[in-house]
Amino acid sequence: MYKGAQIITQPVGKEGDLMVLNWGVQHPASGPMRIKVWLDGEKIVKVENDPGYVTRNLEKMLEYRTWENAVVNVERICFIDDLGTILNWALAVEKLADVEVPKNVQYFRVILAEVGRIVSHLIGIGGMFGALGVATPTMWVLALREYYLDFLEHYSGYRISTAAIVPGGVRFEPKKEDFDLLRKAVEETERRWDDYKEVFIDNPTLVERYKGIGIIPKELVFELGLRGPVARASGVDYDLRKRYPYSSYEDFNFKVVVKEEGDAYARFLVVLEEIEESVKIIKQALEGMPEGDKWKVRMPKKIKAGEAYSAVEWARGGIEYHVVSDGGTGAYRVKISAPSFMNIWALEYIAPGHKLADLATIFASLYICHGDLDR
Amino acid sequence: MDLAWVLFKTLVFPGVTFLLLVIFATFYLERKLVADMHGRTGPYYVGPYGILQTVADIFKILQKEVIIHREADRFLFLIVPAVAFIMVSLVAAFIPYDKNLWIVSTPYDLVISLALLTSLPAIFLFAGWVSKSKYPFIGGVRVINQLISGEIPLWLAGLSVALWYGTFNYVEIVEKFDIIGFLVNIVGFLIFLVAILIVADRPPFDIPEAEQEIVYGFLTEYTGVGYLLLAGAKFLEVFVLAAMTVTLFLGGFKGPFLPGWVWFFIKVFAIYYLAFAIRASTPRIRLDQLIKFTWTVLVPLSLLNILLVLAVKAL
Repeated sequence: MYKGAQIITQPVGKEGDLMVLNWGVQHPASGPMRIKVWLDGEKIVKVENDPGYVTRNLEKMLEYRTWENAVVNVERICFIDDLGTILNWALAVEKLADVEVPKNVQYFRVILAEVGRIVSHLIGIGGMFGALGVATPTMWVLALREYYLDFLEHYSGYRISTAAIVPGGVRFEPKKEDFDLLRKAVEETERRWDDYKEVFIDNPTLVERYKGIGIIPKELVFELGLRGPVARASGVDYDLRKRYPYSSYEDFNFKVVVKEEGDAYARFLVVLEEIEESVKIIKQALEGMPEGDKWKVRMPKKIKAGEAYSAVEWARGGIEYHVVSDGGTGAYRVKISAPSFMNIWALEYIAPGHKLADLATIFASLYICHGDLDR
Repeated sequence: MDLAWVLFKTLVFPGVTFLLLVIFATFYLERKLVADMHGRTGPYYVGPYGILQTVADIFKILQKEVIIHREADRFLFLIVPAVAFIMVSLVAAFIPYDKNLWIVSTPYDLVISLALLTSLPAIFLFAGWVSKSKYPFIGGVRVINQLISGEIPLWLAGLSVALWYGTFNYVEIVEKFDIIGFLVNIVGFLIFLVAILIVADRPPFDIPEAEQEIVYGFLTEYTGVGYLLLAGAKFLEVFVLAAMTVTLFLGGFKGPFLPGWVWFFIKVFAIYYLAFAIRASTPRIRLDQLIKFTWTVLVPLSLLNILLVLAVKAL
C-alpha cells in the first residue's frame, strides 16, 4: 500500500526477523533483473529494484553507427515493439536534417507504429495472465499476434526487429499483398475481440487478483515521472499522440484510454482497450491512405551540426531521444529516455504491504520491457 | 487366494507397474489436452501422436546429476521423495478397479486412505525444510496452508458418504451405490471435487508450486531421481484422489454393458478432464483468499451437508 512518497531506507527489524528473498535474476517471472524483497511471513515489507544485468550500452554504440544503420541498434531497445523506437529515431534524424517526408509515408509509419503497439499490448495482456499461472489467454493472444507478424514478415522480411522505418521514409514500398495481410489481421482481431473480452475482462479470478492491488496515486505519477499505460491508468490524461502530434497523428480520430482507479486491474484494462483504439487508427489509415509513390526521400550522408529532441508515444509510454550531431555521418551523442526505466521505480512504493503472491501481478501490471530497462 | 495372483496384483496390475503407467499416461494426457485448449498441438514428434514424449522426458531427468545443497540434510533430502511416493502408492492399494480387482480391502478403507493423504503435506513440508533453501521453505509452509484449508472439507465430504452407506469399505460402498445415493451425496461430491483440487495442489489452488511467485515450491532444489519421485508422487496423488471420488460418489466400477474396470477408467478420465479444463481456464488465487474461501464457504457447507445426509437417512 502507498504510504506517502518515501522509500523505506532504515534497517527493518532485527536481523533474522525478516526473510530476504532474491526475486530474480534467475526466477520464472522476474526477467533479467533482481528484485530484493524483505518478507515478513507472506507480507512484503520492503522492495528494492536491481536492474542492469543485460545492459548493452546502446547510447554509446549509436555513436559508432551511421544515421541509417543506427536503426538496427535503436530497434533493439525493445524487440517487442521495435517500430515505435525506430519511428522516433527517424523523426529525430529528419528534424536534424530538416527533411520533410511525404504524407503517404507518414500514414504508413502510423500503420507500422500502431501494429507495433498492438503486437506489444497483446504480449502484455498475455504476461498479465501468465503471472497468475494460466497459459490459455497467453496462447490465444499469441495466436492473434501471428497475423500481425505475418504482415510485418511479408513487408520487411522479419517478424520482429523489422528495421522497417528508416530516416527519410520507410525501407520498402508497401505492396497490395501487404495491405491485404494487414486487413486480414484487423478483421481477425475484430472477429475474435468480443470473445476475448468476454473471457479476459469478466474473468472472476482475474478481477479478484488484480482489483485494488498496487494502487498508484496521481501524485506518484508526477513525482516519479511515470509514463504510458501506467500513468493513464492513474487518471493522467497524457498521450504524446494527442498532446504533441507527430507523423500526422492529428488526422486520426481516436480516444486516449484513461482510468481513474490506478490499480493493477485499471492498467490491465488500459492496455486491453488501447488495442481497440489502435485497430481504429489502422483502419482509418488504410482508408485514407494518400496517393503517392515516393516512399523514401533522399537523406544527406552527413548532417549539419545541431541538436534535436524527439518523442513518440510508444507501447509502454513516451520514449524520448536527444540527438546531437557534429556534422558527421553519425550521431555525436545520443541520450535515450525510455518509459520502463521510469515505471519500474513505482514498484518500490506500491509493493510493500501486499502479499508475496501480489508481487508477480503488480510487476506484470507495470508492463515492463527489460530491453529498455537496461539499454 | 493363491500367491501368484497376489503377486501379480501387487507387482503388475493394479500394483507398481500400473501406477508407473498411470504417471506416464496422465502426464501425456495433461500435456495433450491442455495443449488442445491452448490451441497448440502438444507432444507430437516422439512416437505415434507423441505418446513416447513422457518416456523421453523421464529418461532425460534420470540422467541428471543429483545435486544436494551444501547446507541440506543429505539423508533426509534423499529419503523424503521415496517416502512420499510409497505413501501415495499405498492409497492406491485400497481402490477397487473391478468387482474382484483390488489389492487390499479392509473395513476401514476410507479412513486409512484419508489418513495417508493427510500426512502427505507433512512430508512435503519436510522436503522444503531439509532443502535449506528459501523458495522450497516458503513452498513447504504453503503446503501446510493447503492442509488446513483443504483436508477438512475432504474428510467431512468423504465421511458423509460413509454415513449414508454405513460403511468405510470401498467395495461395499460401490456395491450399495444407486441413483438415490448419488443424489443425496451430490453436494458432498461437489465439495469433494473442490477439496481434491486443493489437496493435490491443482490449479487454481496450486499455491505451493506457484511458479511466478516461488519458482517451484518445495520441489525447487530437487533434481534427477529425487525430482522424479516427488513429481511422480504428486501425479499419483491426483490419480488416487480422482479414483477415490469415482469410488465414493460415482459408483466406481458399476455401469452397464462394458466391463467394470473400463467404466472405472472412463469415470476417472472424466474427473481428470474436468481438472485439466479448470487448469486451462482459471487463474491462480491467493493464499489468504483460499483460506477465506474454505473456512467461510467450504467447511460450513460440508457440515451442513453431513446434517442433510443424516436428515435424509433418518426419514
